[in-house]
Amino acid sequence: MIYLDNNATTRVAPEVLAAMQPYLSEFYGNPSSAHSLGRNMKQGMEQAREEVASLLGVADTSEIVFTSCGSESDNWSIRGVLATRNDKRHIVTTLVEHEAVRNLCALLEREGYEVTWLEVDHNGELDLDSLRAALRPDTALVSIMLANNETGVLFPIEEIGEIVRESSNAVFHVDGVQAVGKIPIELKNLEVDLFALSGHKLHAPQGIGALYIKNGITLPPFIIGGGQEQGRRAGTSAVPNIVALGTACRLAQEFDQHDRIQTLRNRLEDEILATFPNARLNGVADRAKRLPNTSNISFEYVEGENILTYLDQAGICVSTGSACHSTTRESSPTLRAMNVPYTAAQGSIRFSLGRYNTEEEIKITLNALPKIIAKLVEMSPYEKELQTIYKARSTAQ
Amino acid sequence: MMTPTQELIGEHFFKPRNVGDACEPSFVGRSASLKCGATVRLSIHVDEAQHVTEAKFKVAGCSVLVASLSLLTDELKGKTTAEAAACGQQAEALVEYFRSCDAEKSHCAGLAGQALLAAIREYSNTVRQEWTGDEALICTCFCVSERTIEHEIHQGELQSIAEVTDRCNAGAGCRSCFSLIQDMIDDYWRERTIGASDVGTQ
Repeated sequence: MIYLDNNATTRVAPEVLAAMQPYLSEFYGNPSSAHSLGRNMKQGMEQAREEVASLLGVADTSEIVFTSCGSESDNWSIRGVLATRNDKRHIVTTLVEHEAVRNLCALLEREGYEVTWLEVDHNGELDLDSLRAALRPDTALVSIMLANNETGVLFPIEEIGEIVRESSNAVFHVDGVQAVGKIPIELKNLEVDLFALSGHKLHAPQGIGALYIKNGITLPPFIIGGGQEQGRRAGTSAVPNIVALGTACRLAQEFDQHDRIQTLRNRLEDEILATFPNARLNGVADRAKRLPNTSNISFEYVEGENILTYLDQAGICVSTGSACHSTTRESSPTLRAMNVPYTAAQGSIRFSLGRYNTEEEIKITLNALPKIIAKLVEMSPYEKELQTIYKARSTAQ
Repeated sequence: MMTPTQELIGEHFFKPRNVGDACEPSFVGRSASLKCGATVRLSIHVDEAQHVTEAKFKVAGCSVLVASLSLLTDELKGKTTAEAAACGQQAEALVEYFRSCDAEKSHCAGLAGQALLAAIREYSNTVRQEWTGDEALICTCFCVSERTIEHEIHQGELQSIAEVTDRCNAGAGCRSCFSLIQDMIDDYWRERTIGASDVGTQ
């Protein structure tokens, strides 16, 4: 199996599994208990907290709180900030956020909050002047992601944090889920108040997340119950998962092959764009402005879901942002916000690489694609459009 | 473990039958969905005995739609246009068939049926225009003339297309004659009303 869907989830690293396993067998006990078994669990948990803090470049480990997933971290941040700022009812966010932010802000809008939805250009980039213009005295919260899950486009959160700080009293929340483990992050140097991450995007299991809460920011608990996590997040701590997240963060910090993954991604992207006249990149061409592992490419006038199914049959896993989207049957909101033409959005494929991908796998993928695309091009009712693109390419060459 | 439905879809998706365009002269039907972005073009070639000799399709749409079109076009060969129209309408049954395995995909099969019905309607409209028989032809699928339909409306004092279809099959196929049948029903009842008021003034 060739797994090129690492933005969806990642394989649990063997080192992570090995580290969490004792906590599912010989180590047990409630970390809140005072006896030795409990203390042992607590110790594992606190070591994990240090490992998370270290990866995020956080100075004070007490700024890290464990949650169940990235969505909980995002939801808690947004609802928590609003709960403490009753006088401020304005939110600034973007049209391309992950559902955990986008759908919650849409719900809040229906509940009476005012939301400014920042647009992106055709490259998927934000216009920071529109952010400046959106900030108001009653802006409670700015929620902007670090890396887009579909295109990998990075938003300049350093600059955004400074703008938010200079021009408003708003709290700045960053959904960092897709970026952690893929690019270096130093939160202590950033004007970021809240930062969400998820374990399963960096080789920890599903069901563990964390939230960075900058000192000075208070969030009322999202789950009401016991006094775990210094009273900030009730619920018995999921120690095996927390240890797994800590280990995954340490592995990510020690990982020294980012260049290799980026090279593989570049090769995949370059060859696809050079081979198929109907292929176009979704997201800014400047690779410094995108995650090093992600390539979102549209094969115009064919159906992305078909490509996915054929690749799956060939043992290659990818994602599509196109039709019959799990429940909505609509094309990806991110691509729509970028004004990607309908017939291109339909044929979009996201390749997202990870630490276990090899050069051989990229070769196999590149070898599998031409037959698949040719078959779908032949089936497409857009012959005229395809002929025009193919002709233009052959004339150019 | 794949269900029989998934297996059938898989078989027709990975090896779709009848991709392309029917030979000329062909009749073309299209359907599309803004909701899912699918576009379908289905073309048929019909012989002089009104049998579909070839049915082909082109599509940009999900695997269920591709499989539906492959299944549907396979079924059509040798059928009369009336029978083919029934297949198009039964694509609604195909919809049910898919709904049983994946509710989200049911509308895809419907798009296949819509494209087929559109192709048959194009055929019917052309035949109707080119018809040189003694009596004007209304329902080309079942070869029902204007006079027959008029007769049935008068005899039975019919008020709906469904009643006309019940009596003489007209309108049971591709439905391209629906507006013509409706006009005939409207004409009949208008004349009767005028006739009745004429009687009243005498």
